[in-house]
Amino acid sequence: MIRLGQYLPGDTVVHRLDPRVKILSVVALSILIFGATPAEILLISVFLLAVIRVARMKPAQALGALRPVAVFMAMIFLVHLFFTEGRTILSLAPLPVRITQEGLVRGVYVTWQFAGLVLGAAVLTMTTPPSDLVGGIERLLRPLSRVGIPSQDLAVMIAMALRFMPMLLEEYDRLRMAQMARGADFTTGNLALRTRAVAALAVPLLLSAFRRADELAVAMEARGYRRGPRTTLRELLFSRCDLGAFAVMASFFLVNFALRMAIR
Amino acid sequence: MIRVENLVYRYDAGAPDCLQGISLDIEDGAHTALIGPNGCGKTTLIKHLNALLFPRAGTVCVDGMMTTDVSSVREIRRRVGMVFQNPDSQIVGMTVEEDVAFGPGNLALPSAEIRRRVDECLAMVGMTGFEKRAPHSLSGGEKRLLSIAGVLAMNPRYIAFDEPTAYLDPAGKQRVLEIIRRLNRAGMAIIHIAHDMRDVAEADRVVFLDRGQVLRTGTPAEVFEKADLLIAVGLDGLPGGCGS
Repeated sequence: MIRLGQYLPGDTVVHRLDPRVKILSVVALSILIFGATPAEILLISVFLLAVIRVARMKPAQALGALRPVAVFMAMIFLVHLFFTEGRTILSLAPLPVRITQEGLVRGVYVTWQFAGLVLGAAVLTMTTPPSDLVGGIERLLRPLSRVGIPSQDLAVMIAMALRFMPMLLEEYDRLRMAQMARGADFTTGNLALRTRAVAALAVPLLLSAFRRADELAVAMEARGYRRGPRTTLRELLFSRCDLGAFAVMASFFLVNFALRMAIR
Repeated sequence: MIRVENLVYRYDAGAPDCLQGISLDIEDGAHTALIGPNGCGKTTLIKHLNALLFPRAGTVCVDGMMTTDVSSVREIRRRVGMVFQNPDSQIVGMTVEEDVAFGPGNLALPSAEIRRRVDECLAMVGMTGFEKRAPHSLSGGEKRLLSIAGVLAMNPRYIAFDEPTAYLDPAGKQRVLEIIRRLNRAGMAIIHIAHDMRDVAEADRVVFLDRGQVLRTGTPAEVFEKADLLIAVGLDGLPGGCGS
């Protein structure tokens, strides 16, 4: 199962922060990372590392978040390394590519930017239970309900998708086993054969997902679900701590931004 | 009281009637068992009790409110809870406590009240300590208990159970039956669909459905007296050692 930035329970300031503060902070950091100078990237990285430290995340856990995108990062790096014009530092003749100094700098910089984005998002998802995350998104989007965007329905939809992901995986396993028990073979044969065997699972899986969605809709109705205002178990409350964190983030953002403006 | 009168229902226009003129009273606080072979209309019948289905003819009336009256539907669904056969497709929340909170949330209750109900209902089914668990990490029996807690949190007056002991091991069955017994003793009316006659021996009344009609109704002793009738439709657990 994919464990991309999965929640790691903990009891630190970062864990306890209002999800809205964390979501806004990640958005602000991402904006800063785009178009940041190398010096700013360094500053942001130090900041991120400090947050990771405060959240008592192990370095391995933080790096683990980068693992699923490692190949992608390597590609970004190589593309910039080989295809940037500039002063050649290593020619790879007879290959039609060469490494330039600018390419090396640019590659490191862009890869670093990307890692910063992923890491920032990972800190958010690793320190916030999914339900709080959904609740936070819902509350942030709530002003949009005035223009007809149903934020509460969206939140229920996201929550439901997260709830049913593991169930669909289970169902997939069950169907696979049932077909294997009747002689289907998913592990030998060439790629085309194996693809066909897996494709044979898609139709029953889809059908069962639809049937389940139908049952679920009825069960939700039976428990009084309808569009319109509803309340949740945990009301998000802005504490003094949240206010502090918000102030830190806001000033970090503003100082960074002001510096950038001043330099230009 | 829930009063069902001459209820007729069919799923599709051309199809034969699935319920053919059923009349039935469910008294406050009574334990009513619904039995009958597969496809006789038990599930269809209970879906009418909380306005998930609407009669083609006849009426269903919950505490004086017609299920066909749109303005009453919400209150009817609050009063008549429904525990479906498959717990997997009625658990909505990402965690146990959030699932129990789903119903009260739909009633737009304040968070403190939701918290109180969640704790109370989880305690009632013996699942205190499971609050933060993800539903997919629970066993079949625990999912069943969770689905019951989710319905209890609505604070209903009636609960319809659709084969609540299906797929459970003997210990799990006893646990669920004990919860049903306790709820009934506390004054909640129970409508209980069962295939195993042993599960409903304590019911106040047994309603025997066959092909969309009430074939027989009475106390368990009265209904089970005509054992040949039950054997003819293949029901389990008859006194006297028939069935499995």
